[in-house]
Amino acid sequence: MKVLIVGGGKPVYFLCRTFLAKGHEVTVINRDQQECVQMARRLKVTVVHGDGSDQRILEEAGAHGADAVLAITPNDQDNLAICQLASLQFQVPRAVALVNDPDNEAVFQKLGVAAFSTTRTIASLIEQRTALDEITNLIPAAEGKVNITEVRLPADSPVAGKSLRDLALPAHSLIAVILRNGQALVPRGDTQLQVGDRIVLITLPVNHGQALKAITGEES
Amino acid sequence: MRGTGYLRQRYRAILSTTGFVLILCAGMMLTPLLALLVWPGELLQAWAFVVPAVVTGAAGLIGWRLLRPRSDVVLTVQEGGVIVLLSWVIACLLHALPFMALSGLNFTQAVFESVSGWTTTGLSVVDVTKASHVILLWRSILQFAGGAGLAIIMLSAITGPTGPAVGVAEGRDQLVPHVQQSAKLVMMIYSGYGVVGTVALRWAGMNWFDAINHCLPAISTGGFSTRVESIAYWDSAVIEAVIIVLMILGNLNFVTAYLLLRGKLRAVVRNGEVRLMAVLIPVSALLTFLLTCRGLYPTTGKAIRVAIFDTISALTTTGFSTVGYGNWNGFGWLVLIVLMLIGGGTCSTAGGIKQYRVYLLYKSLVWELRRWLLPRTAVMENAVWEAERQVFVNDTRLRQIGTFVFLYLATYIVGSAILTACGYGLKESLFEYASAIGDVGLSCGITSPSAPTGALWDMTVGMFLGRLEFFVILASTAKLARDAWSMAKPAREVA
Amino acid sequence: MASNLFIVVVGCGRLGSHLANRLSRAGHGVVVIDRDEQAFRNLSAEYSGFRVEGDATELAVLKQAKVDQADLVIATTRDDNVNLMVTQVARAAFSVSRVLARVFEPTRKPIYRRLGIESICPTSVAAELFLESMAATRSLEDSA
Repeated sequence: MKVLIVGGGKPVYFLCRTFLAKGHEVTVINRDQQECVQMARRLKVTVVHGDGSDQRILEEAGAHGADAVLAITPNDQDNLAICQLASLQFQVPRAVALVNDPDNEAVFQKLGVAAFSTTRTIASLIEQRTALDEITNLIPAAEGKVNITEVRLPADSPVAGKSLRDLALPAHSLIAVILRNGQALVPRGDTQLQVGDRIVLITLPVNHGQALKAITGEES
Repeated sequence: MRGTGYLRQRYRAILSTTGFVLILCAGMMLTPLLALLVWPGELLQAWAFVVPAVVTGAAGLIGWRLLRPRSDVVLTVQEGGVIVLLSWVIACLLHALPFMALSGLNFTQAVFESVSGWTTTGLSVVDVTKASHVILLWRSILQFAGGAGLAIIMLSAITGPTGPAVGVAEGRDQLVPHVQQSAKLVMMIYSGYGVVGTVALRWAGMNWFDAINHCLPAISTGGFSTRVESIAYWDSAVIEAVIIVLMILGNLNFVTAYLLLRGKLRAVVRNGEVRLMAVLIPVSALLTFLLTCRGLYPTTGKAIRVAIFDTISALTTTGFSTVGYGNWNGFGWLVLIVLMLIGGGTCSTAGGIKQYRVYLLYKSLVWELRRWLLPRTAVMENAVWEAERQVFVNDTRLRQIGTFVFLYLATYIVGSAILTACGYGLKESLFEYASAIGDVGLSCGITSPSAPTGALWDMTVGMFLGRLEFFVILASTAKLARDAWSMAKPAREVA
Repeated sequence: MASNLFIVVVGCGRLGSHLANRLSRAGHGVVVIDRDEQAFRNLSAEYSGFRVEGDATELAVLKQAKVDQADLVIATTRDDNVNLMVTQVARAAFSVSRVLARVFEPTRKPIYRRLGIESICPTSVAAELFLESMAATRSLEDSA
């Protein structure tokens, strides 16, 4: 796949390395001469020096043939302009923008630009790492329409020892994965839940509270 | 155009605007004649209003038209200040005339009464038992106008000068992002209070005339009454309750009132002045009840009512009273004096140091304590809620507030000292002057037709300064003096 | 233009402040947004609207400026991309009926048109006026 990345700094550097490792072709557009030089020295990528929101630069960088354009500059307005140019002018099939202000994520989607906000993701990842509660919200998926939660089964849980088949989970909820002793297993109807299991629970918001209550026995 | 020529052009614009204001003041003088519809027997008194109105109206019209600048001139805030100063002085003098003609007051007393009306103070030397309905209505109208302020009145007019200069000089915040729309909104809210309040008072038991003449002074936090005993005349808990509501409304910053009307309760609750009131009123009422009123009145109910009503009247700087204070102990006097000095909300009809300043000074103390406990290199940004947004308070603001409070208290001390020099006791002087400078209107007896001229002028100056934001008066007087001297200088330096 | 509109001007530089002054004078309610507090000094004494200090690419700042109640949003910052984003967000997220953007780079105009954003390009306008002026002078010289 031909990937065009606009931006700089460490995130872009490591992203390039990942893409290259997977065998994709990467071109980077960056405004800073020094950074361009550094990247050209360390990575096997094509580096174009210029303003990614400028049509001519995008053209030179090969936007016509690109399969994906990623706009990862620190400025939301530049990322928006780059992606809109890419889709409208160059018909790039996948144009994704980074948004710094999480509130802009929804607006960008409305304007037809796929967007993601690192702030929210990073916050939830850090939360996972510091796991103070038994219940941790994992990566939010599908714009918040789905909750993926990790729950540690407490000793006094009403479902400890029960098998999945006998659980009375409310509708719209599913136990997707159980992490036991460092091993991940995908449960079946006869799998029994043990105290200390880390359960990955997928729910729709409407029954989220009930599902949690069924498993932990507490009001959340 | 250099030097004095430029100044002359600016002053043409200033005087033109002042001329327009004069027309409005003249028009105002005709409004109390509405009372003649109900009491045609007082027709003979009309001349005291009509004659000055016509003369001033004509002078104002000539001034406005003749001096109107050829091209549109935009007034600066400093020039707005000069207009405020000139207009208020002229209005106060002009509107004293009916008192001189009809109430038998001498010049000093008439100006005192007029200033007491415009500054919404409420201290009075008029004998209300002998005053005609026209005069009583006139006093209420003066307070209603004073509460609105000349800027609002001027901007609400259909035509005439515009721009934010005069409003800023008079200390008005804007409700919406255009100065004229904002003025009209304030006028609507204010008039709304007037209509609702009058009806409410009528329902509570007053007759229509008394209802209007207590509603207008209540919402303008003025305090003139048609009865010698003020609200004590009715001895009615319902009437007191209605007036309490009106007083609190009148003392609310108009921006806060606007937010309240639009249902933005969260912003209202966060407001510093609302919070301060929420603490001050219950605490002072409770303490006053426990330590002063409890033994003084025949029933506990009456004592509670007095404690609540009179403390609120003092804080909102209205000045209605339900009792005399001669038998109050020292604590009661102190509470009232402190409340009068603190005063009401900014950009409202109230006076005093203003709750916002007191609130900020209190917050500043809290922040200082917090900073003491933080690491030395920590950065602290301090914010308060103004209207719907957070405002970060910097040291300049606090410095200005500090200077203002110093000026206020210094004037207070000097003014009180003058009263003691006139022969009054310390307690009484402190009380009466706090009432004057804070535009409150509660009196312990010093204000009366027999008061010496010096005392009356002392209080008149205090009332005037208190209403118009010290700085503006001092700065505008200085500017006026300097500009007058510049323009009067002979042109020899040009040659 | 109807009277008493509520207008939000983004950017308080020379163009933004000039527009804000004129519009406020004409009787409209105006709110000006700028990242830099010093920029508000460009506003004249007759300006009676509100000022909001903040980055207009943040939704919270636009909300504070009450863009949802605006009849018209004019984007006059120095950055074409900011102007483009602000006008689009105003329309998409706040349903503002009319938006105007200044765009310096003439080559961007077609994109703006594609996205349905009304734009004014000072570069092209100035170029046109210069050319007209030159043509007029030349014809004067020719006929002289």
